[in-house]
Amino acid sequence: MDKRVMFAVAGSGKTSRLVAALDETRRFLLVTYTDANHHNLRTKVIERFGYLPPNIALYTYFRFLHSFCYRPFLRSKMDTRGVMFRLPPTFPRYGLTDDRRYMSSDRRLYANRLAKFIEQSGLIDAVVARMEKYFDVFFVDEVQDFAGHDFNFLMAISAARMNMTFVGDFYQHTFDTSRDGNVNASLHNDYRTYKERFKRAKLEVDTDSLKKSRRCSKSVCDFITQRIGIEIEAHDDRPSVVRFEDDAAAVAAIYDDPGTVKLFYDEHHKYGCFSQNWGASKGIDRYQDVCVVLNPGSVKAWHGGGFRGINAKTRNKLYVACSRARGNLTFIPESLLKAYKRS
Amino acid sequence: MAVMPVLQIRRSISNGGKTYVGTIRRLILKNFKRFKALELEFDPELNILVGGNEAGKSSVLQALDIALSASRSKVEAIGIEALFNVDCIAAFLRGSRKVAELPELLVEVYFDGLAGHHELDGRNNSKGIDHLGIKMVCKPVDEYTKQIQAILAEKHENFPFEYYGVHFLTFTDEAVFPYKKPLGHLLIDSSLINNEYAMREYTRSMYAAHATVAQRNLHAFEYRKAKAKFKDDTFKVMNDALDSYKFDVRTSPKASIETDIIITEDDIPVDSKGKGRQCFIKTEFALRNREHALNVLLLEEPENHLSHVHMRMLIERIRASVKKQLFVATHSSFITTRLNLKKVIILSEENPSRPANLKDLSQGTAEFFMKAPDNNVLELALCKKAILVEGDAEFILVEKLYRLSAPGRTLDADGVHVISVDGTSFKRYLELARLLGIKVAVIRDNDHDHATNCVANYAGHVSPSIQVFADTDNARHTFEVCIYQDNKATCEALFAAGRKSLGVEEYMLKNKTDAAFALLQHDGAALVAPEYIQQAVAWIRE
Repeated sequence: MDKRVMFAVAGSGKTSRLVAALDETRRFLLVTYTDANHHNLRTKVIERFGYLPPNIALYTYFRFLHSFCYRPFLRSKMDTRGVMFRLPPTFPRYGLTDDRRYMSSDRRLYANRLAKFIEQSGLIDAVVARMEKYFDVFFVDEVQDFAGHDFNFLMAISAARMNMTFVGDFYQHTFDTSRDGNVNASLHNDYRTYKERFKRAKLEVDTDSLKKSRRCSKSVCDFITQRIGIEIEAHDDRPSVVRFEDDAAAVAAIYDDPGTVKLFYDEHHKYGCFSQNWGASKGIDRYQDVCVVLNPGSVKAWHGGGFRGINAKTRNKLYVACSRARGNLTFIPESLLKAYKRS
Repeated sequence: MAVMPVLQIRRSISNGGKTYVGTIRRLILKNFKRFKALELEFDPELNILVGGNEAGKSSVLQALDIALSASRSKVEAIGIEALFNVDCIAAFLRGSRKVAELPELLVEVYFDGLAGHHELDGRNNSKGIDHLGIKMVCKPVDEYTKQIQAILAEKHENFPFEYYGVHFLTFTDEAVFPYKKPLGHLLIDSSLINNEYAMREYTRSMYAAHATVAQRNLHAFEYRKAKAKFKDDTFKVMNDALDSYKFDVRTSPKASIETDIIITEDDIPVDSKGKGRQCFIKTEFALRNREHALNVLLLEEPENHLSHVHMRMLIERIRASVKKQLFVATHSSFITTRLNLKKVIILSEENPSRPANLKDLSQGTAEFFMKAPDNNVLELALCKKAILVEGDAEFILVEKLYRLSAPGRTLDADGVHVISVDGTSFKRYLELARLLGIKVAVIRDNDHDHATNCVANYAGHVSPSIQVFADTDNARHTFEVCIYQDNKATCEALFAAGRKSLGVEEYMLKNKTDAAFALLQHDGAALVAPEYIQQAVAWIRE
């Protein structure tokens, strides 16, 4: 029984690694956290086999949680109406054994408490048995995004007697979907204690196999290591240009360039160019040159001591955005794009 | 119409070289037609459903057909009100009329096999157990509950069926769609043999079972092409003479390969053959399907329109069928016994929710009935009380003797069936009666040794519900002797004339049925029933 978690850097080929390990005979359960990555993985599996083999079940985490772990056991009994991603209200506080803690008054399940609800209903063993019955191999992509109850749930079901590989990048943790109060609130504060949690669940932690980025150039990797403070090595010595651009005409040219994606902190849809948000660009592997748009605070950080000291979540998203670059990486101030912004 | 290949799911999956085919393990009904509640366990190969006219055999087949089709339009065509149990609706309307207590209709089908289908495997079923299965639920739509409440408050006798929704779900509570149905099945109802729609449905199902999706798409494409070529070539001269308006041949979902195919035998369309031949061909063809695309066959009264020869052939085909689970609803003792009495499920008219099955019948008895000449097994199996008699003479006179023993009563009024049994096979029938809890009085001759023939012989068979009645006087060794001795004057008057060498008693013994018939036609008031027959009648009426 091989159970391991592999921590990787951006662009080191996590997803490709999982896809390469698939075959057309064993029954695979493949779980990713985000919709974007689900799409990405699906494309890659079809590329590899020419079709979607029926022995490979591809789920986003919350769909797996609801349709494979919850619905078969409890749907009729609880008469619930699917999952809802709105956070539960802080008050009133219902006890752990009170159904109302886990669902709204119109009986929609709170996504961030669903894993806890399953555990509270005493179904962990049944879920593990169901996984063992229907699958031989369990893969999890984007494992760093599991937080709150979902992290505990993942550790609990990792007891299943099947081969499993989890891959992720600690610093690409950008999602808050799983948060619930102070449950595992400090999980992502420290990389070392984070890795400990996996070891405690009897998973082998591998930080070597995927420590070099194939996507990013040496220049981009050096920038990320030095200015953002997240260690990433390049697979080769290929150089590229990393620069800050605040010449209005040059910025306008970049803005209009359909070959360069503009990555915004948020609200990219308000700009009519080829764009995406920092966080949502996670998992995307098809950009060549990347332009990262900096808000005034980040511009200040650029000119000052860099991004090591900024808020951890913002820093992780910036890391995700920068590490999308296969070629050049250009930073521009958001203030120069005001004219383009739609309300 | 093209079928998207991606929508097809495999009906059986190979695992380690072994192919698993799904079968139906159990059916649970709630408020479906005459069943307030019903639970049936099935045999993986053959299930013979028998019962009176209103016992619900067809309803069981219909429930399976609806659930396995997962087709909402099928339900809508029948109408929810036609499927709902009438009693539960009436009880609700008489009762509290609360929205929370509105009755729900449930059909649950539990599967065996079908490994790998985790989308079917869950505990959202009425038993609350982890199992593979699908269900149909008809229940009020939550969004309409306010309107329903208003309607119910009006106190009239109309039930708000219009506000009910139909759902087809797996036991994981995931929706099932017709294209995703887990088992291939076909219902053949020979009472609909002249129905055009039923024939079309049958043809379509058989076509789907014999052609792959890729083949079907190719057929549809080539058919459309051929029509276009026909128009271009054959209509050319005519159309060329026209300017803006031209003739063409219809190509639409209503005129496609699937609407135009027919099945032929020796180049003759099957639907232009006689009813009996059609019935036979439909069933025979479905049984022949070797692709195993049809996993379940539901046969509704296959004996309809069939000659005895065809029936025998059909039975042979059914017995030879492999890898299909068969459900046969029948009235025919012949089909039932020849197929296998052990696979019989009996649905009762009085107690619809309490079916009985004969799987515990001994192999010897099942085989006896399989080989025995035409018999009355179903008549016995479907009754509550029976009198078994030994021969034709008793059979002819028993009704009359019954009325003499119980003045003013008749066999039919008391619900007592009379079955004539060859004397050596009483015990086979008694085994069946014991299994089904039927009250049986055996009336037989003592054949000169009451203690051996009528007491010791049935030591293991008599019980509070099974009794043997015979004359205890060994001198009165047959029915005719007893009748003669108890009715000497009547018999002498009837038979003495013209007797030369034979005495009357001897004549009666040598011409049992003729004598019985003469006694039957004679004014019966003067006849006296032998004591043991009177006892039998008194006991069976208790």
